Amino acid sequence: MRRLLAERLVVATGLIVILMSALFAYLRVST
Amino acid sequence: MLPYVARRAVWLTAYLVLVLAPVLALLLGDVPPARGFWTEFSSAIAYAGLMMMGLQFGLTARFRYVTEPWGEDVIYHFHRLLSLVALGLVIAHPIILFAIDPARLRLLNFFQAPPVARWAALSTYSLIALVAMSLWRVRLRIRYEIWHSTHILLAVVAIIAGMIHMIGWGFYLVDLRKRALWIGLSIFWICLLLYVRIVKPLFILRRPYAVTEVRKELGDSWTLVMQPHRHSGFRFTPGQFGWLTIWGGPFQITGHPFSFSSSAEVADGRVEMTIRNLGDLTSKIHEVPIGRRVYIDGPYGAFTIGNPADMHVLIAGGVGITPMMSMIRTLADRGDKRPVVLIYGSGDWESITFREELKALEKRLDLEVVHVLLSPPAGWEGEKGFIDAEVMMRHLPPPYRDHEYFICGPNPMMDAIEKALGEMHVPLAKYHSERYSFV
Repeated sequence: MRRLLAERLVVATGLIVILMSALFAYLRVST
Repeated sequence: MLPYVARRAVWLTAYLVLVLAPVLALLLGDVPPARGFWTEFSSAIAYAGLMMMGLQFGLTARFRYVTEPWGEDVIYHFHRLLSLVALGLVIAHPIILFAIDPARLRLLNFFQAPPVARWAALSTYSLIALVAMSLWRVRLRIRYEIWHSTHILLAVVAIIAGMIHMIGWGFYLVDLRKRALWIGLSIFWICLLLYVRIVKPLFILRRPYAVTEVRKELGDSWTLVMQPHRHSGFRFTPGQFGWLTIWGGPFQITGHPFSFSSSAEVADGRVEMTIRNLGDLTSKIHEVPIGRRVYIDGPYGAFTIGNPADMHVLIAGGVGITPMMSMIRTLADRGDKRPVVLIYGSGDWESITFREELKALEKRLDLEVVHVLLSPPAGWEGEKGFIDAEVMMRHLPPPYRDHEYFICGPNPMMDAIEKALGEMHVPLAKYHSERYSFV
């Protein structure tokens, strides 16, 4: 279960990194 | 000291900030003209991927304050999964660029590609090899020591080659301050590695232990009794473990994690580790000569007693008994009056490590030992088969959610018990587990 929690956190981390990278790209092309 | 949940939240936030801040810092100051969305996106994920790769050095640097709220096994699980995410980001970078402009596929020809693309390829291939070797180490029959050395080498190559590629490509890193930031971060990661492999071993070298006894135990196991040599040793909490180096010095990559099995209340710094013969280095424990100088890096681990509990429920499978034994011996030495139930799964009656001592400890402590045997002897009236929710409910008084649970054993057993505890409505905060096959 603790490993499951760790797995969910890793997925969340990956998603946040991807979303922030998309924000990075958006900020670059929109300014 | 903040509670574990708060410390976990702090470290998660710190991790995300450390990954994203250097990437977002590329947007500050002078920035080159923007390219298309997908090109910029692919650059951002490559920078983030490299940051995640670098931070892996921090995750495995054995900083107690970082690992304590999670447990070492969860940190290594994180480390493995995050490497898959980092690899995904790094590989997605060229794939997006190839999709935007298929003419770039010619860069895949390593020998004809410009140096800046070769460094990228070297970094990516190193990372792929690193992840593949880690995922399939056992299947590929790669020895732990060989794998570990190669793992470190490939990680360093991946980081340095990736950094050279980024600097060579220029673009964002044409700006001197940004270039300095990223080079500085790379140097910091390598320094973390040097700290773990050189600085820390220097400290451990000055605090050796001498083997004073090698004791045969039931269940093809041996107990190493180790006394600090010209130092006072360290204090540990029952349930913790140390990285033990028997053959060679602390600079060699030969340390293996073993739980302490002795009482934490021993005054002279003596520690014991009970090790089952699993065929690798563990098959040579009985050959360790008395007086042998060994090195212990520890203590580590969050698998410890200490929370207020009406009852301790210890669930062990095979050699998973070692941290439990430390807990039971410590509770007995402390004269703890609270009830302890040990549910202990073994192959057969003759392979129950510490069987006789546990029987003796039942007289010193409010301890009930429940043996669960896979191959019970004729006439056995106790529990048989695997430990499951039914076995636990037969021996534990309700309400089950009030007890403090500790689980240690082989992975399939741990998965089954964690599922069973879920069925018994035991909240996550009430049980602690440590997987001894985390490396």
